[in-house]
Amino acid sequence: MRKALVVVSALLLVAFAVQFVLAAVGGFTRPAGEDAYALHSVNGMAIIPILTLLTAVFAALAKAPGKLIGLAILPIGLVLLQPLIAMLAEASTDASGVSTPLGLTIGGLHALNGIIAVHVVVGVHRAARELADPVPADAARLVTREGEPA
Amino acid sequence: MTTGSLLVADLVIAVLATAGWLGGGAASAARRRPLALGLTAVALLATLARAITITALARAGWWFAAEKILIAGPLSLAAVGVAGPRLLRAPGDIRAVALPLLFAGYATSSALLVTILHGYPASAGAGLLAVAGVVAATAISARALGARPSRTVSRVALVVAVAALLTGTGLTVAPGAAPAVPHGHGPPAARIADEPTRRFTLTAGTATVDAGGRNVAAWAFNGQVPGPELTATVGDVLEVTLRNRDIERGVTVHWHGYDVPNDQDGVPGVTQAAVRPGQEFVYRFRADQVGTYWYHTHSASDVGVRMGLYGVLVVRPGPATGLDVTVPVHTLAGRQLPAPRVERVEPGVPVRLRLINTDSTTHRYAVAGTPFRVAAIDGVDLRGPTPLVDTAVLIPAGGRYDMVFDAPATPVALFVDGRAVYSTGPVPTATGAWPVLDPLDYGATAPVPWSRTDKTFTLVLDRGLDLRRLLPRYAHTVNGAADPDIPQQVVRLGDVVRFTIVNRSQVVHPWHLHGHHVLVLTRDGKPAAGSPLWLDSFDVRPGEVWEVAFRADNPGMWANHCHNLAHADAGMTLHLMYS
Ligand code: HEM
Ligand SMILES: [Cu+2]
Repeated sequence: MRKALVVVSALLLVAFAVQFVLAAVGGFTRPAGEDAYALHSVNGMAIIPILTLLTAVFAALAKAPGKLIGLAILPIGLVLLQPLIAMLAEASTDASGVSTPLGLTIGGLHALNGIIAVHVVVGVHRAARELADPVPADAARLVTREGEPA
Repeated sequence: MTTGSLLVADLVIAVLATAGWLGGGAASAARRRPLALGLTAVALLATLARAITITALARAGWWFAAEKILIAGPLSLAAVGVAGPRLLRAPGDIRAVALPLLFAGYATSSALLVTILHGYPASAGAGLLAVAGVVAATAISARALGARPSRTVSRVALVVAVAALLTGTGLTVAPGAAPAVPHGHGPPAARIADEPTRRFTLTAGTATVDAGGRNVAAWAFNGQVPGPELTATVGDVLEVTLRNRDIERGVTVHWHGYDVPNDQDGVPGVTQAAVRPGQEFVYRFRADQVGTYWYHTHSASDVGVRMGLYGVLVVRPGPATGLDVTVPVHTLAGRQLPAPRVERVEPGVPVRLRLINTDSTTHRYAVAGTPFRVAAIDGVDLRGPTPLVDTAVLIPAGGRYDMVFDAPATPVALFVDGRAVYSTGPVPTATGAWPVLDPLDYGATAPVPWSRTDKTFTLVLDRGLDLRRLLPRYAHTVNGAADPDIPQQVVRLGDVVRFTIVNRSQVVHPWHLHGHHVLVLTRDGKPAAGSPLWLDSFDVRPGEVWEVAFRADNPGMWANHCHNLAHADAGMTLHLMYS
C-alpha cells in the first residue's frame, strides 16, 4: 500500500505537470476558442480528480500518519475548486462579454490555486516516499525496524 | 438580487460549507480544538445561509433548485444531524468528533459535485452515487482514524454503499431516450421551379486577408472576409452556387434568420451533406422576407465562422433610398472587423445602419450624435418604435438591429464596444455609461396572434459531465444531456409551440432556432410589453427564464441550438422535427 501511495502520488504529479502544459497549449492554439482547452478540461475534470482521490484513498489504506492523510485529502478540495473558479471567471464578464478586472482576478486565482495544489502534492509525495522507505539506506543499520510507527 | 447572482452566491456558500466541515474534521483529527470549532462554526453558518439561497432559487423556478432541494438538502440535513449532536455533547477529546465532521464534509461535497457535474434534472442515479461516495469516504476515514465501529454498523455501511453504487451506476449508465438524428431525412426537395433572378457564386477557400492593418490567415468566401454582400429585392429568386476549394472540414451555407425551406438550410448531416473540397452545392430559394440577415458555414461552424466564412444578406422592399450601411461586426484573429469608416453625409438624408453581430458573444452598439429609432430586429420591423437618445443596444450573437435616423447637420458615429466603427465626422462622446435598451418594452404592443398552445417544451441550459463518448467532456447541456443525446422535439404542422428556456449556468446562451422566428412572450415571468418581438437570436442570460412561441409552419428537421458556436460544438445543439 505504501508503494502504491508513492506511485499514485507520482502519477498525480505528472498529471499536474501535463495540466500546466495543456494550459499553455490552450493559450497558444490558433484559432483561439473554447475547444482549445478541451484537453486541459478532460485532464482537469477526469484524470486529475481520479488520481487525487486514489492518492487520498491509498494514504488512508496505507495507514499513513493522520497528518499525511489530511495532506492527501486537501488536494481533492483544491482540484474541485478549479473548474468552479474557471466557471466563475468566465461568468464575470460585462454585458457584452468583455472580461472585467474582477473576472481576470478570479482567473488568476485559478492558476494560483493550481500552483498551491501542486505544492501540496509534492509534499504528499515526499512524505509517501519517506513512509515507504523510512530511513536513508546508509542509516538503516542504526535503526531497528520495530521502532517504526504502525 | 438577480437569479444569476443568486446562483453564484449559492455555489460560493456551498464551497464554504464544504471547506468548513472538512477543515473542521481535519483540525479535530489533529486535536486543534479552537481551529476545529471555528471551522465548524463557519460550516454551520454557511449551511444556514444556503437554506436561504436555495429557498430564493426555488422561488425563482424549480429548475434552479431541484437537485439542491432533493439531493443537497437531505445530505446537508444528515451532515448537521450527525455532526451537531456530537459537538453538543462537547467531548473532552476533540478527536472524537473528527469522523462526524468529515462525514458532514463528504455529504456536502458530494452534493456540490452533483450540482457542478450533473445539474438539472435531479436524478435518482446521481443521488445514489453521491450517497455511495459519502459512505465509502466515511468508511475509509474511519479506518484511517482508527475508529472501531461495531460489526453491524460496518456491515450496514457496506451494504448501503454497494447498493447505492450499483443502482446509481445502473440508472446513470442506462441509455437515455435520445434516438440519433436520422441523416438527410428531410421532406422531399421542395426546390422551387422558378427561374432565378439573382445568381451568386461563393467559393470557400483558405486565404490571407487584411484585418486591422495586419495580414492574417483566414477561411474566406471569394477570398474576402466578410464574404460578398448578397442583396436582393423581395420576390427575387436567389440561386447561390457554393464551391469548396480547399476547406478540409467541409463547408455549407446557412441563411441565418432566413426561414428557407428545410433542404436549403445548410446544416450538414441534417439537411445536406457537407460540401467537401472540389464539390459544389446549389441553393435556390425565394427572397420573401425583407430585412437584414447573414449567411455562414454550418460545417465545423465554430472554427469556420470564426475564421471568416460569413457574409451579409440584405433583402430590400424596393430600390434603396437614402443611405444604407451594413456593419457586420466580427473578431478575426483577435482583430475587430469591419475597419472604421468615415464618410460625409448631406443633412436630411435618411440613414439606415444595419448592425449585425457575427461573433459568438454579445456586442454593445451605440449611435451617438442623433436621435434614432430601432426600425427592425432580426429582420422583422418593429411596431411603433419611438426615438431614442444616448441609448446603447446589446446585440446577441447572430442578432441584427436596424437603426434609422435622418442625418443631422452635425456628425454622427456608431460605436461598437467603445470603438468608432462608422462615422460622418469626429464625435467625442463617451458612450460607456449610457443605459441599454430593453427591447421587451420598446414600441407599441399588439395582441399575441394565437390563443392556444399545442406543444410545450422546456429547455434547461447548464453544464455537465458527458461520459457517453470516448473522451469524457465537461459539456454544455440541455436538460442534462449533450448533443447527440438530447431528445428531439417533435411537432406537427400547424401546431403553436411554446419553449420555456431556462439558463442555470454561469454564462449567457444566445438561443437560435432554425427555420422559424419566435415571438417573445415573457422574460422572468414578466410579459413582453413592447412591440411584438419576432426573434431568431436572443440572449438568455444566467438565471433568466424566457418563454417564446411560434407556429410550426415550415416542415423539416431543424437545428435548435446555442449560437455561441463553441457551446453548440460542446453539446448545446438539439433538433426540432415535424412528425
Ligand atoms: C491544478 C491544476 C489545474 C486544474 C485541475 C485545472 C482544471 C481546469 C478545469 C476543469 C477547467 C474547466 C474547463 C472547462 O470549463 O471546460 C479549466 C479551465 C481553464 N484553465 Fe485550468 N486547471 C489547472 C491549472 C491551470 C493553470 C496553471 C492554468 C494557467 C496558467 C490554467 C488555465 C485555464 C484556463 C485559461 C481555463 C479556461 C479555459 C476555457 O476557456 O474554457 N489552468 N481548468
Ligand atoms: Cu451557449
